[in-house]
Amino acid sequence: MVDMFIKGVSKTVAIIVAVIIIIAIIGGVAYYLYSRPAPTPTPTKVKIEKIVIGVIEPLTGKYAVFGKEAVDAMKLAVEHINAEGGIKSLGGAKLELVIEDAGEKPETAKLAAEKLISEHKPPIVTGAYISRLTAAIAEVTEREKVIFVIDALVDELTEKGWMYIFRAAPRASMHGASAVKFVLDVAKKKGIEVKTVVILNEDSIFGDYVAQGARREALKNGIKILDHITYPYDIADATPIVSKLMDLKPDFVVSVPYFHDAILIAKTMKEMGYVPMIVAGAGGCGYTDPDSIKAAGEAVEYFTNTYSYNPFRDTEWNKKFVNDFKARYGKIPTEAGGIAYYNMWIIKEALEKAGEMFPEDPLNPDNLRKAFLALDLTDENSPAAQVYPSGHIKFAPNGENLYELAVVLQVINGEPHVVWPEPEPGYEPIFPHPEWKPSS
Amino acid sequence: MIDVNIHLLIQNIVNGVLLGLVYALIALGLSLMFGVMGIINFAHGDFLMIAMYFSYVLALALGIEGVLTSFITVPLFVVIGVAWFYTLINRVLKADPLIQIAMTVGILMFLRNIALAIWKAEPRGLPYSALLKSITIGGITISLSRLIIAIISLAVFFALHLFLTRTKLGIAIRATAEDTETAALMGINVKLIYALTTGLSLGLVALAAALILTFTRVDPMIGTVYGLISWCIVAMAGLGTIKGIIFSGLIIGLVEALGMSLISPGARELFIYLTFILILWVRPRGLFGVR
Repeated sequence: MVDMFIKGVSKTVAIIVAVIIIIAIIGGVAYYLYSRPAPTPTPTKVKIEKIVIGVIEPLTGKYAVFGKEAVDAMKLAVEHINAEGGIKSLGGAKLELVIEDAGEKPETAKLAAEKLISEHKPPIVTGAYISRLTAAIAEVTEREKVIFVIDALVDELTEKGWMYIFRAAPRASMHGASAVKFVLDVAKKKGIEVKTVVILNEDSIFGDYVAQGARREALKNGIKILDHITYPYDIADATPIVSKLMDLKPDFVVSVPYFHDAILIAKTMKEMGYVPMIVAGAGGCGYTDPDSIKAAGEAVEYFTNTYSYNPFRDTEWNKKFVNDFKARYGKIPTEAGGIAYYNMWIIKEALEKAGEMFPEDPLNPDNLRKAFLALDLTDENSPAAQVYPSGHIKFAPNGENLYELAVVLQVINGEPHVVWPEPEPGYEPIFPHPEWKPSS
Repeated sequence: MIDVNIHLLIQNIVNGVLLGLVYALIALGLSLMFGVMGIINFAHGDFLMIAMYFSYVLALALGIEGVLTSFITVPLFVVIGVAWFYTLINRVLKADPLIQIAMTVGILMFLRNIALAIWKAEPRGLPYSALLKSITIGGITISLSRLIIAIISLAVFFALHLFLTRTKLGIAIRATAEDTETAALMGINVKLIYALTTGLSLGLVALAAALILTFTRVDPMIGTVYGLISWCIVAMAGLGTIKGIIFSGLIIGLVEALGMSLISPGARELFIYLTFILILWVRPRGLFGVR
């Protein structure tokens, strides 16, 4: 056997093996010599000049529209923050963004997080707008103990017991609840009695969370839910759904659409002449965004939808943000830009707080977490609150904002306008729909 | 016990019939190509999508009703169909079915990505239409746009029936479908017949696209929605039947409308494909198939 083996090995192979062994030995010895710890200088307090903030947003693929606007707004926020003197409690340290593309799949988002965190070691990461991508990134940030300020809305992201996650934006269920609150509030002011609702949502996880929020709010207020209809967003025909609504005759409809179905549903309602008191959209997709209005035209007139950001809020910093954004990018910031901008300011305020509370180790993740939880931002003390719909940000231990609020936009004369809770100057909610007829 | 709401039931039977005739019109072009040439056109739904974008752009540019764009898009797509035949289909006519499928799938990817590059992923639609109205008869609401499409659909089926049975060209098409070699021996220019069939197929697609754009939206992925339904209808009807397309269109339309309204819209595709499987299980050659 041994003899055969030796015979079988040719001269060339023997030489190659020998060379590999020699290289391995040299490599091993070299590694041993060089990797011995060099004498380190005694640690001194290093002055922090800049703080790297990791940004992971979808910049390619079908969600790129959102990610790009978020990054645009973040760049503007960082410019504003640095121009105001950076993080004052840390000797005026400046913020610096490192941006990574999350792609459109959870796997690519996770890889982006691994790469960004291992290469740049940011104390705080923010992103990723789409809930699935955000959940994938959170697995990495939790493991690596990096603070993650998220701009995705699905409720469960803050229900998993994650320690380092923070969200100021209103949760999905809050959007649903806001739609119902808006209708009840406006109806009460106008002296109109509202008793019944049908909830209609596309069947994604996001749509379900928004609808659940609307359900709870309706039940809490004694509104009778005549039906709760779910459907896939790529339906070819909405007449069966609209026929059912016409048959049930609810006072109002809470609708949680994606973009495609929103156009189809609005047009079908228009065509079949179905007019409830109001179609209150929830969740920020469809009906009131400029592209949907362009595609559905007069069919979406007087439809409403909820939004995580109010571009018309009358505060100094909100105006500055909107004006500068418009000057640079040629359009008013939408939801993605608004959330990104206030999130960046929240990060700034938390760093400021960490510098005050823990001057010797401000960037330690557990210290940062304590700083986030210690924040109580209002219109009086922070630009972050001035840009936020409720003007108040304070985090609960699960990372959720105790004062979360969504605003309501309504399509009036083919343009979206904020009508609730603080209507933009010159506008008020049109309720009920002018063509609505009380059914007997 | 069972809460049968007669009014809602009748309303949805009407909805289903109208939707079924829309589906039948969309599937007609696919059936023609398959029946005459034996080519499985996987890009059918995506040609519909591109035609919808053409109608959308034309209607907005000219400020006209979407339906009227068909006077431009139908001739255009007939030409595109003929060109498609002579450039690509002609080369794979005698090839393996797998090669033919690869060719049409390639066209599908091409069309889809062209649409994504030009019009992005956001859905588009026409912001106006005089047809977004309805008529009410005895408490039943009939949407005008769908009623008009249904009438046009029936008219097209009737015209095509006359064309295939009463004209020389139509009889030549049927002869070619029946037996290509004998047809060629009888002096029929098979290539020309194939080219015309492809043109006719895409022309019908363009007509359907202009019509449905009235009430729906277009996005780069919408081809899948209508493409799959078309396949169901053609397979259910069986080969070599035009009448069958109408009937299976009606079956799918009714199943969809009644299932969505009376049971749950979430299970829309379940109802459609369950019906599809059941029918093919009972009659593997389709409802009206002769082969």
